[in-house]
Amino acid sequence: MPYREKTAWLMLIAIAVTFGPYFTIAAKGQAAGPGPHLHQLVLFGVTVVAEALILIVGNALLAAMAPQDARTPPDERDRAIASRSITWAYYVLISGMILVGCVMPFSSNGWEIINAALAMIVAAELVHYGVIAVSYRRQA
Amino acid sequence: MSAGSIRNQIRTLRFMHGEISQAELGQRIGVTRQTIAAIEAGKYSPTLEAAFRIAQVFGVPLDEVFQWTAAADGQP
Repeated sequence: MPYREKTAWLMLIAIAVTFGPYFTIAAKGQAAGPGPHLHQLVLFGVTVVAEALILIVGNALLAAMAPQDARTPPDERDRAIASRSITWAYYVLISGMILVGCVMPFSSNGWEIINAALAMIVAAELVHYGVIAVSYRRQA
Repeated sequence: MSAGSIRNQIRTLRFMHGEISQAELGQRIGVTRQTIAAIEAGKYSPTLEAAFRIAQVFGVPLDEVFQWTAAADGQP
């Protein structure tokens, strides 16, 4: 498996094991109103720190297992795959932001909007790294 | 624009040049082994520059490495 595919899978796993529980917990105990809601902030903080730790440790392990591959700069195919994945992720992000920014304010407020915006960013990241992983898998 | 397919003779040319490995060919033209494998399998079309570099490594014209076949009318 190419090094860049492994890092894409690592990112997908990190998102799944951190933001998966985050959105599940957030959906169950949706905070009402516009207040800062400390427990939501703590939950978000813990999620981000956990994701960062997984990525730091995971990337260090992957680089240690294949130091040559980790040092190799991206070639033309790597750049083409990255470009394609960013294009797909952009469409997801822009659609999500239009929904959250233009539609949700009429029906929701506070953390509902914040979590919906976060969900769209996470969805765009999933598409970004998902397209990378699938592209390498299909040798495209 | 009519569709078509690009074939290549990289596997044959590697064999004819002392079974040069995908990794070595990749190293000589500045791409990874996986990219050479993808080009060889017809899954990825290289840039014109990379195509010329591959031809240069084997010392043959570009059209001996890559061939384009136009699809028949009405076919992809």
